[in-house]
Amino acid sequence: MSDSQRIPPPRRALWRDLRHLLAYTVKRLLALLLTVLVSVYLTIVIANMGGRVDELRLVQIRSEAAEAVRADPAFLDMPGEERHALIERRVSLEVERLRLDQPFLLRSVDYLQRAMRLELGRAEQMHSDRGSREVYDIIVERLPATLLLFGSANLLVFFTSVFVALTLSRRYGSALDRGVIALAPTSAAPGWFYGIFLILVFAFVIPLLPAGGMVAAPPPEGRWEYAASVLRHMLLPLAAMFLSSIFVSIYSWRTFFLIHSSEDYVEMARAKGLPSHLIERRYILRPTLSPIVTSFLLMLIGLWSGAIILEQVFNWPGLGSLLFRAIGHRDTPVIIGAVVIFAYLLAATVFLLDILYALLDPRVRLEGGRR
Amino acid sequence: MARSSGDVMRRVVPVAAALLFLAVLAVALRPASTVAPRQPPTPGEGIDEAELQGRRGALVDRVVFTREADVGRVTGLIEAGSHQVFTQGISSTTVFNRLRDSLHTAYDLAYGTASELTLNPAGPELATGELNPFHVPAIREALNRLIDRRYIAEEIFGGLAVPRYLPLSTAFPDYARLADEARELELHYAHDPEAARDVIHREMEALGARFAGGRWWYRDAPVRLIALIRTEDERRRIGDYIANLMEDLGFAVERRYRTAEEASRLWIASDPRAGHWHFYTGSWITIVILRDQAEGFSFYYTPRGRAEPLWQAYRPVPEFDELADRLERRDYRTWVERQAMMTRALELAMEDSVRVWLVDQLNASARAANVAVAVDLAGGLSGSALWPYTLRYTDRVGGQMVFGTPNLLTEPWNPVAGSNWASDRMIMRATEDPMVIPDPFTGLYLPQRIEGAEVTVEAGVPVGRTLDWLSVESAEEIRVPEAAWIDWDGDAGRFVTVGEKHPEGVTARTRTRVAYEEALFERRWHDGSTLSLADFILPWILTFERADEGSRLFDVAHLATFEAFQRHFRGWHIVSRDPLVVEVYSDQIYPDAETIVAARAPAPIPWHTLALGILAEGSDELAFSSNKADQRRVDWMSLVAGPSVPILERQLRRARERGIRPYPAALGELLDAEEVAARYRALADWYAERGHFWVGNGPFELHSVHPVAGSVVLRRFAEFPDPADKWLRFSRPAIPELDLDGPLVVEVGEAAAFHLAVTFDGEPYAAEDIEQVQFLLFDGRGELARRGEAEALDDGLWRLALSAETVAALGAGANSLELAVTSRRVALPVFASHVFATVPAGGREGAP
Repeated sequence: MSDSQRIPPPRRALWRDLRHLLAYTVKRLLALLLTVLVSVYLTIVIANMGGRVDELRLVQIRSEAAEAVRADPAFLDMPGEERHALIERRVSLEVERLRLDQPFLLRSVDYLQRAMRLELGRAEQMHSDRGSREVYDIIVERLPATLLLFGSANLLVFFTSVFVALTLSRRYGSALDRGVIALAPTSAAPGWFYGIFLILVFAFVIPLLPAGGMVAAPPPEGRWEYAASVLRHMLLPLAAMFLSSIFVSIYSWRTFFLIHSSEDYVEMARAKGLPSHLIERRYILRPTLSPIVTSFLLMLIGLWSGAIILEQVFNWPGLGSLLFRAIGHRDTPVIIGAVVIFAYLLAATVFLLDILYALLDPRVRLEGGRR
Repeated sequence: MARSSGDVMRRVVPVAAALLFLAVLAVALRPASTVAPRQPPTPGEGIDEAELQGRRGALVDRVVFTREADVGRVTGLIEAGSHQVFTQGISSTTVFNRLRDSLHTAYDLAYGTASELTLNPAGPELATGELNPFHVPAIREALNRLIDRRYIAEEIFGGLAVPRYLPLSTAFPDYARLADEARELELHYAHDPEAARDVIHREMEALGARFAGGRWWYRDAPVRLIALIRTEDERRRIGDYIANLMEDLGFAVERRYRTAEEASRLWIASDPRAGHWHFYTGSWITIVILRDQAEGFSFYYTPRGRAEPLWQAYRPVPEFDELADRLERRDYRTWVERQAMMTRALELAMEDSVRVWLVDQLNASARAANVAVAVDLAGGLSGSALWPYTLRYTDRVGGQMVFGTPNLLTEPWNPVAGSNWASDRMIMRATEDPMVIPDPFTGLYLPQRIEGAEVTVEAGVPVGRTLDWLSVESAEEIRVPEAAWIDWDGDAGRFVTVGEKHPEGVTARTRTRVAYEEALFERRWHDGSTLSLADFILPWILTFERADEGSRLFDVAHLATFEAFQRHFRGWHIVSRDPLVVEVYSDQIYPDAETIVAARAPAPIPWHTLALGILAEGSDELAFSSNKADQRRVDWMSLVAGPSVPILERQLRRARERGIRPYPAALGELLDAEEVAARYRALADWYAERGHFWVGNGPFELHSVHPVAGSVVLRRFAEFPDPADKWLRFSRPAIPELDLDGPLVVEVGEAAAFHLAVTFDGEPYAAEDIEQVQFLLFDGRGELARRGEAEALDDGLWRLALSAETVAALGAGANSLELAVTSRRVALPVFASHVFATVPAGGREGAP
């Protein structure tokens, strides 16, 4: 049988490829769903310390009820037994509200099935800044501030570092290159650490910029004034994040590009006398596009978590400080809400990357597919 | 040679990026045109009196609250001029020292937090078989002498605390009233580690323990104490200090460092007999001045305090238990009897010592040097009722102030069951004008919107008054008039009278007749509408409606509070509509008549905003309380922001279109169509301008709310009726400053005279403002030789004379004279002491 006879006709080949693609997609989606399921359940169990949080909560509820009754002058002359009964009634109301009278296992399964359906529900203790108890409102309200600050900072760091790294990879060993390498260890310090110094210098010693917050208090009424005020308030946190990650980011991308610049096909292109910009674009950037895109997308979904300490230092109303408060309050629905959205985003990104890899790199194909 | 597009781009992109960066920088650094240049504050020269003339309401034009949780930045932000006041109390010595050392800042001190040592009284053997020395009252009592409270106050708290020995706050009136007895006890339990060690050795041996090799042993094992030490604050160092003391005494101490949450599982929730801990570094907070601390004995020392296992392990001696119970129930006929009971209870509390009180902590409220404001002695700035009336720059009238606050809009705001957080309540208070206002330094209530009050109490009920704006009388029997309202008929939507519910008649222990000011119904709400009687009555209706299971407003979380209210409520009666005079009948008693009036006087809430809330809850869209909101899966009502606002706006439109009057059967005659229309129109205009429904009548109106950005803006209410300087006399607590002078050597047989100068800010303290100057005279053996009172010679000058017989009775030796001064203007008593020697007749020669 000749080779031409063994190759299926195009229509059948298309169906076969689609079948492969569908099977692959289903398998990947199931695997990702399972990963999300396990990670969310682990979060539920950890956030509740395997149910031990119930015990802590009961003590807290009882103490709060007792102190509230004691502090209220209306109950001052109430006999001890009646006061205890009153406290018990308040405790049982709160226990009922938080469903602490149900076994943790049962609640954990309920939390999980709701979370998987993205039914975020109501927070147990917290409210959104506007006063809503819906977890969706609580999270979404903080999203713009997080996206604005961390989006700007990460995009700035990403594009600056890729651009500079590419330049440095061409000037390997130059003074600038050596300078950047020497500065790379400065990224060992986190953004909030730089933030403290920047606040000290630019908000207190030379009071040019505000020490914290997202906008002036009270916020300016005009749209442009408002934007300018937000910009003013963003500068220091932006600078702190930029300083803390730019050098190591440049260093790693530079190393990455250097490795790829010494591939045989790049050397061959150089030997052929192709112009450098063509080599960069076709022989370095194009083959390395997959890791660049991966890094970019992971950076984008990384925005979701914000940065707890940096937000605290700059008094920035972002998701990081929200999550921090939620953990402090042991507000399980808010913690689960933040985690499940992150988990779904991550799963969707991973799935998208699988598709993108195939589009960006012709070498990537389904197992069993045509080579 | 032509350049490729790539080369061009490579050069253009960095230049464009640099230009963009510069443009951003320019925009960001451009100073906002609306903001005045920031200047570091300096103490002002004082307000020009002419500027005050004619000024009504608040002394500043605008107050901006902004979220700032980091106390470490307080001084820097004030110095930079971006903030003028911080609401958060500062207890960190590092931050306080920086605040104190700055030329641009000032601070006010508040009490209210007490540190103590909670001891495990179970035993003598615990479930682990180990010995618990703290089962023995004598050992617990000895700890009072073992611990150096001055060291804790000055070294651990860096001066931000004062020693405390007794279950009475050193800043509250009961301590001042019992100042001489308290002083005597404090001297009795003064730091004396040797005496403490002797007692502990004696009692440990009595328990069967033996002391060998510098260690205590029980059944051949070292006696181990578990110290449960809180880690969040200075209590970590207190715990270490006490653990060291116990180790020095020969105990093996296991230190368990825990946060509040972790520790509570052990000291509150576990059975003390299980032996998870022996002592715990506790702390208690009070945010208002407690004028009656008599219930503290029951709470802190008896099983009646709380139902938890620790309290159930308390075994006070029968005398103490009975006294504590009687004091809690206020079972005494006269004030003198009460004071005698308190004195004895204090002695027994020290002998019991299941808690060893250590210090009263001080919290500093930071402000700019050119700002003045009345700060509550217990609640600090955030607990001050007078802050909106007294806040000002010391060098000018008007202007804007920025407050930093750790929390803002923590929970939804509504006037029925909204946020009760101190930071939220502080802002709300600025928008409300209460009927009475507590003195921030004594806790006594003062009239704001009432002319006066008459309190009638059943004969034999010990109620007293301090101020002259009210009167107190007693009567053998107080009958409630038949026409008084005592209940609510939800179905008919009307009040039930005493005559209908109790044809046989009802009596009450107190009648409080409150006469409101004549111009009350000329006062305006912030939206421009005028106060009316319906504003007083609708909140009452709501109290009953929310407890009525048949009502759509029924709230199970309100039920317990309502039942407690019903236990003592005996009716209320409108004696006159204009001017408004109301009588309220109740069985609930407070020792201060001023507090009774404060608890009874009905206060208004604008009926038209309340009506929107009632409509929204009635239609199951929102709920006043958190609990009901969760039950019904709807939003907790907020009048200021969030998803509640559009719902309320829809209800307003509906109410306006239909001219809805809440509870027409009860309020119909009070609300004519014209008022209904005018109210809703005013509210609609208010909402259109401000974007919220929070309408009050205080010196500030809620101008705007920015929840996510974290700021709230208050603006001066121009139509506020009172002169701006009405409450300025309460800007600073007039704590007396003492200078005791007298002979250092007195010959036996001679009389001696001592002079006390009492001043405030260098000026003599008016004699009429001093409640009493008591003295205690201790002889050379430290025993109380005499107690008495000094006599006033003039304002600020007091004399204390010891007769020749008194001096002779002292014998030769070094004596100590302790003075306790209590003022009518501030609850905090002040002490002074003087040491002098008595020598035999003719022995002065050669003495200084």
